[in-house]
Amino acid sequence: MQKQDGAVADREKESAVSIPISEVDDWANFADDDIMQQQSAIHAEEAKKIPFVGDKEPLSMLAAEYESGSPILLEKIKVLDQQYAAIRRTRGDGNCFFRSFMFSYLEHILESQDRAEVDRIKGNVEECRKTLQSLGHTDFTFEDFFSLFLEQLECVLQGNEDSISQDELILRSRDQSISDYGEWFGWLVVMFFRFVTSGEIRKRSEFFEPFILGLTNATVEQFCKSSVEPMGEESDHVHITALSDALGVPIRVVYLDRSSCDIGGVSVNHHDFLPTSGDKSNAKGGSTVPVKPFITLLYRPGHYDILYPK
Amino acid sequence: MKASRARLFKEYKEVQREKTADPDIQLVCDDSNIFKWTALIKGPSETPYEGGVFQLAFAVPEQYPLQPPQVRFLTKIFHPNVHFKTGEICLDILKNAWSPAWTLQSVCRAIIALMAHPEPDSPLNCDSGNLLRSGDMRGFQSMARMYTRLAAMPKKG
Repeated sequence: MQKQDGAVADREKESAVSIPISEVDDWANFADDDIMQQQSAIHAEEAKKIPFVGDKEPLSMLAAEYESGSPILLEKIKVLDQQYAAIRRTRGDGNCFFRSFMFSYLEHILESQDRAEVDRIKGNVEECRKTLQSLGHTDFTFEDFFSLFLEQLECVLQGNEDSISQDELILRSRDQSISDYGEWFGWLVVMFFRFVTSGEIRKRSEFFEPFILGLTNATVEQFCKSSVEPMGEESDHVHITALSDALGVPIRVVYLDRSSCDIGGVSVNHHDFLPTSGDKSNAKGGSTVPVKPFITLLYRPGHYDILYPK
Repeated sequence: MKASRARLFKEYKEVQREKTADPDIQLVCDDSNIFKWTALIKGPSETPYEGGVFQLAFAVPEQYPLQPPQVRFLTKIFHPNVHFKTGEICLDILKNAWSPAWTLQSVCRAIIALMAHPEPDSPLNCDSGNLLRSGDMRGFQSMARMYTRLAAMPKKG
């Protein structure tokens, strides 16, 4: 088989020397490992272009992207500009939702110094731990990711020995911090969220099953194994719902797409993911779930960035 | 990375504790290098690999468990998703579907499952894949069984 492929490929090579695509002819000789290595090399190349978490930018920068593009989008950006002060981009590597959530949440705690919120989410994280245990996960497969996230909550609260500034939070989120886990920080926290999301979906599989069937043909278990737990798998409303519910954190998603508007004016749709209060374990300890989202994400088909309300 | 070493050490302890839990898998860490492991797995019953014992080699990267271990068959095996010469395994969880939720032990279980349920549509061993795809179960099974006898069973006499 391989020999035949090689012969065909050689002929193609001769006939199309100048076309770069002819390099594809060597595919038959590539082992999976080579392909993976090339993939990660491409990713590393891309990585240099956009940091995991960018700087705050005015929305005019967003408009500049669409200058010669769809007028509907430009109109919508004008509407956004009235309500939102800034955008912070994240890298489109499939983890953008989780990374946006990570930065946005930790930044909110850093700015608000809301200890009550930290205590509340810690309770939820503890529930998530129990969920994973009850689903048969061995502790050591997830405990490191859990403890890293819990540590970060302490770090963004000021007055501790290991309190951090916003600059350090940005450095960490860009995997540029010179701490123990420096270059892996974001990956580890994203993985924490992926564990939490997967646990929540499987715990309430009856609730999530119809949504998952709408997305893929997979069972709940398969969906979590193939589309939630692996790094770089993109997030959908199922992931957002599950993470929001599990951690008890409301999330607003603003949609910037080409969907046409009602006659008489342009409007921008948004959807609030509000944690369900149906889960009794969340109500334990008398903590109430905050209703107004303090995390706002901008969704453009296939990608999430962070938005800052005025 | 310190974290990978710590994680592997936890897996090592777990393997020692659960030695009898899974009689089909015998996972052993290299005496001098915790990033090198080998495993002996039993061919699943009611497959052409039944009765065979297959050796796997694990090379664990420093970024483990964020990145998957590299695993290959040291024992020759005739299977659509295993490279006949190198022993390389085509299994999604060892590539892009990897997640730290997997352990070396559960990877072994996934490989045993792959032995029982080949995926002929993504073959690394085309001859084997073609036999299955063309529906020649008898041909596939006799080839696979022959190699199991030749390579994965203790020599008699």
